[in-house]
Parts: sequence; structure tokens; C-alpha cells
Amino acid sequence: MRGVRKVRTIATFEFLTTVKRPGYLIATFGMPLFVAAYAAIVAVPAYFAAQDDEADAAYGVVDTAGIIALDGDVRAPRLGIPDEARRTLESMGQGAALERALAGSNFIFRPFGAETSARAALLDGRIKGYFVLAEDYMTSGRVEIYSPDQVSFSSSDARSAFTSLLRARLAAGRVEPEVAARLVSPLHDQQRLSVSPSGEVSDGGRAATMVRLAIPLVFIVLFLVSVLMTAGYLMQGTATEKENRVVDVLLASANPDEILAGKLLGLGGAGLLQIAVWLLMALGTGIGVVPLLLDAGFTIPWLVVGLAVPLFVLAFLFFGSLILGTGSLGSNMREAQQFAMVWSLTAALPLMLMSVLIRDPHGAVARVLTWLPFSSGSVIMLRAGMDPDQLAWWEIAGPVLVLVASTWLAIRLGARLFRVGLLSTGSRPGFREILRQARLG
Amino acid sequence: MPILAFEHLVKSYGQTVALRDVTFDVQPGEIFGLLGPNGAGKSTLIRILMDIIRADSGAVCVFGEPRRREHLDRMGYLPEERGIYTKLTVIDVMTYFGALKGLSRADARRRAIEWLGRVELPQVAGWKVDRLSKGMSQKVQIASVLLSDPELCVLDEPTTGLDPVNVRLVQTLLLERRRQGRTTILSTHHMNQVETLCDGVALINKGRLVVYGAVEEVRRRHSLPEVRVHAQDAPPRVPEVAGVVSEADGIWRLMLADGTRPADALRALVQAGACIDRFEPMLAPMEDIFLRVVREEAA
Repeated sequence: MRGVRKVRTIATFEFLTTVKRPGYLIATFGMPLFVAAYAAIVAVPAYFAAQDDEADAAYGVVDTAGIIALDGDVRAPRLGIPDEARRTLESMGQGAALERALAGSNFIFRPFGAETSARAALLDGRIKGYFVLAEDYMTSGRVEIYSPDQVSFSSSDARSAFTSLLRARLAAGRVEPEVAARLVSPLHDQQRLSVSPSGEVSDGGRAATMVRLAIPLVFIVLFLVSVLMTAGYLMQGTATEKENRVVDVLLASANPDEILAGKLLGLGGAGLLQIAVWLLMALGTGIGVVPLLLDAGFTIPWLVVGLAVPLFVLAFLFFGSLILGTGSLGSNMREAQQFAMVWSLTAALPLMLMSVLIRDPHGAVARVLTWLPFSSGSVIMLRAGMDPDQLAWWEIAGPVLVLVASTWLAIRLGARLFRVGLLSTGSRPGFREILRQARLG
Repeated sequence: MPILAFEHLVKSYGQTVALRDVTFDVQPGEIFGLLGPNGAGKSTLIRILMDIIRADSGAVCVFGEPRRREHLDRMGYLPEERGIYTKLTVIDVMTYFGALKGLSRADARRRAIEWLGRVELPQVAGWKVDRLSKGMSQKVQIASVLLSDPELCVLDEPTTGLDPVNVRLVQTLLLERRRQGRTTILSTHHMNQVETLCDGVALINKGRLVVYGAVEEVRRRHSLPEVRVHAQDAPPRVPEVAGVVSEADGIWRLMLADGTRPADALRALVQAGACIDRFEPMLAPMEDIFLRVVREEAA
């Protein structure tokens, strides 16, 4: 009871002093503004590039095969968009914008009687390129594409537009209109579905997959941000207390376990509050995600939601104890950061192996990482989010037990290192001294 | 029953022995002086008492039982190297230190305000600590320790750097604690404070306890057999007095013969016709005792 009271006192103090710091307030409320400013800087060139793309682009067509039979300038057929994407955009209230965007292609195809006149038009800058259909096109499929001798990023779009035009003209009058429509857009209304090992069918579209990936990814990223940021606060606070000798006063009132736990909880709370503020601000500006989720037939992954908080807390306490314990051995802030760096890198391991984990969420690498306390929290979340049916119950219960035991050990070890670190002001303790003090407990 | 007892404490840092079999105790309600030259082992002893570091062997008993973490709430500690959060307000720091000793936040805050008044600094409650002068900061730290009203309190050099007015203020606070039956261990190099304030004293040198006991008894034990006499005329020659030195007009220092008690010398002088205005056995100053013991140890 006494210990709990001490921990609460220290945690409250650390929390309140941290959240009142100007640096904390600037980071908490300034970071979203910084991200918004960064996004704006990135968006401005993209906006002008998009404006440029929207201007009409004329291409010449020399139809020596006599297939397309253009009478004059022809705008390319309206671009197709997968129905899934269309429904998603419409559900987000972006239907009108989509219609405006798809109102017509900006590619205009202009007939030329001979290749020489098309080339002259290209050299004059009246067209951006031209296509020459060979006389034996129907048997050979040969098309020559002429463009200026310069790098262009839009030529593939022009080829796609010309392909659509060609396909429509080839089909017109030769096959039934329905067949012609399917030839132009053979996968017009596609729907992706996933079949689970038990035979259940669920939405397997891009949106659903993205959402299933997003939750564990957000978890991993937030976890990393929280661990690294809070570790910085922890080490800064401890280094200050060592420098101004507050440690003796603290240790004369509470034991290292209580101090460590109080600091972890207080500063962890400040870190979580900061993340909550960021999430709320992000949700406030990105509320349009909700229709996206609904449209994707998204069902709440309760397993992931239920595991998120306990795994987050356990993993945070695990890494926080080790970071604070080893960081306190440094004789100054720089050394403390160097000592604690190894844990920060270890915490980032699942992120570094993300491509392997996503490609095969139940492969050997994922299964091994599931059992390691350094990565179990992140990997369980990833596997439970991506493919919960493949994750056996004992692959959750077992690693969670390992993580609980490891967290307890980490707190014990962290507290002993913390004690050694706090008492060794001005000099770094040797390995022998660390062992001796650790044995004394 | 002593409120504090050290029993055969031994502590080493690597090859360096900091404490060698230190044993003594402190009675309740005392102001107890802990003396010793720099590096003698005083701070190590105090840090072991406060459970900041562990002894290699030996035991610490407080309040009549082996010291446990729970006892720390009834103890206060002002380290020699002062520790305080410089970027926080005085009231916040004091409230935190009070809460660490088991007070509720509200009670700690109330007492902090009260104690700022007692150390004559009521105006600094809302100040940031780094705005305080050195003396102010020291008084704030003393108040931070005393606000929880610890039954046993260790103050390491509490008056260093204070002006005479504030030294007197701190001494008054210590005497008040004694009147209330609270125990204070005063680690200091100011020997006059030991003589005027302390009931008991322990002197540690090179990790060993070399002097221990009640202050008056220690001073008597380490005093030369001399008395000071105020008289109109030079004292008459008697066998009980081996030598006479005039210190000033009408003041004489008498060296007593071996085995002679001051009372025997006084009786002999009166019987020999001496007209004595004042007679006092000479007690060695604590400073002399300190210097003599340390030099003897060095030799």
C-alpha cells in the first residue's frame, strides 16, 4: 500500500511537470501543424503538376490501315475506374468531384494523312506525339509511336488512351454492343473476396485489406513513437536529477523500484496523452475515413482491439524499464542515449522486417518474432489484424505470458540498473560494480 | 531505548574501506553531532541510514527495530550536496517532497506554506527555484525536510553559506525540535554549534568511530587537568597545583598535579587563604578535541 502511494505520488509529479513543459506543449500541439505544413509544401508542386496534366494534349494518328477512320479531332473515351473505387469515393461525398474529373479525357487524337505531316506538326509543337498504324495492322498489330526526344511521364497515359480508342473502334459494328462494352472494359465491375480456411467468404478488396493492415501498422508506429519519445523524457529527467542531486532526496523516500515505476507511469501517461491528442486531431480532420470503412464492408476486428491496450501497456513497460535502467548508467545525457539506443532499435525490429511479415504473416520469421518479448506485441497485432484465423489461441496466450514474465524481469533488472546508475553520479560504473549492486538488490 | 543504533557497520568501495566496524546509538530527543574530517565516512554512514546504499555487513536499527523502508516516512534527510528541481516553483517542490514522506498533497501544500513563513520566506512560494539566492534555496530545502515533522532527521551541514541571522534561525528550529522530543542528527564542521546545540557526539575518522558520548562528558574526557581562577592576587602555592600561568589581569590558569580533582584543588587553595572570585574547570573546546584526535590518527 505504501509502495502504491509512493508510485502514485511520483507518477503524478512526473506527469504534471512533463505536460506543463513548453517543449511538450509545442510537440503536442505543434506536431500536427508541422505535418500539415509539410504536406502543404509537398502538395504545392503536385498541384501545379496536376494542373499541367489537365490541359488538353493532342496526339496525331496516321491510320494507314484505315481502321480508326477519324473524321476530325476525337477525344479519347472516358477513363474507366473500378466500381469499388467509385463507390468508395461516392460514399465519401466525392461523387461530384469524380464526375468532374472523369468528364472527359484530356487526350485528343487528330488524324493526319501522312507520317510526314504528323512529324511536321510534332516539330511545330502542335501535337505531343503521333501513332502510325501499319497497313498490315490487323494481322501484325504493328504500331509505331513517335514522340519528342525528351523524358515524358505522360506517354504511357497517352498509349492507354489510344488503346481504349483503338479497342472501341475495332469492336464498333463488328460485335454486339454488350460484347463491345466488355471488350473495352472486361473487368468493369470487379469485386475481390477472400476465402478463409474454414470456407467463409469476406471482402478482400483493397480498402478492406488496407484497413486490416492499417490498425496493426498504426499500433506499431504509435508504439515506437511513444517508446522513443517517452524514453527521451525519462532519460532527460533522470540525467537532470543526477546532476542536481535530487536523487538522494528521492532515494531517501522511495526505493528504486517505486521511483522507476512512478516515472514510467507518469511519463508514459504523458506520452499516451500526446498520442491521444494527435489521434484526435487526425480523426477530426480525417473523419471521411469512416464511410471508407463502411463501404469496404469493414467489421471491427475485436481481437485486435481487445489486444491493443494490454499489449501496448506491457510492451511499453518492458522497453521503458530497460531504457530507463540502462540509460541511467550514463554519466551524461549523451551516454544515456547511447546506452538506451540498443532498446530503441530492438523495438523497431518488427517495423524493419515489415515487408517479410506482411508477405507471410504466419511464416517462420513471424512465428519466431511472436514469441520474443522484444517483438511479440507488434507481431501479434499484425498477425491478428491480417489473418486472425491462422493465429492459434496458444500463439496469443503463450507469448503474452512470456511478455508478462519478461516485463516483470525487465522492471526488476531496470530498477537495479537504475539504482546503480543513480548512485554513480559523475562517473560510469564498471561492469563489476553493476553486477555487485545488482546482487545486493 | 535508542531511537537509532548502528551495529558493527562495515562498508567498502572496491579496495577503499569507508566504514570499519562502526557501532553507536542516539537517544530520542537529542541533537546529535556527527563529526569527522572530509572523507571520513560520515556521508556513507548517513546514506546507509537512509537506505540509499547498503552496508557490506552490520545492522541499522531505528525506532527500536531493524530499519525498514516504511521507517523512511518518519525520517528526514538534507544532503550536503543539495538537491532541488530548479525549473519548478518552490511550492510545487515542497509539496512533492512532503507527499513523498506520506503526506497528502493538500496537507503537504498547507504545511509548505506554513513552513515558508517559519523560515521567513512566505513571498517565494510561487517563485521558480532558480530565482532564489543560495541562502534562500538552502532555507527552502531545510523547510522541505522539516515540514513532514520527521521523528528522526539528518541534516548535513545545514548552516553552511547562511548569514549569522539565518544560522540563528536554523538553530532555533533545531532547538524547537528538541523541545518537541524530535531527534536531529547534525553533521557539521562548525564545532561551536556542536558545543551549543548538541547533546551527544560521534567523531568518525578514516571510517572508524574515534570519539563518542555526551558532549560535556567528551569534552571533560579530552580536557587537560586545568582550572581557570579569577582572583585579586596570585594563587598561593599548594601541592595540589603543579603550575600557575597568568592569562590576564586577575585571571589565572592552574595546572593540577597528577590525580588531583578540581574540587580538591579548590579546597586546598581556600584553606591556603586564597580569595577566589570565580573557579571553573577548563573543558577542552570541541575544535581542539577534533584537531587532536585527527592528528593523532594521522600520526
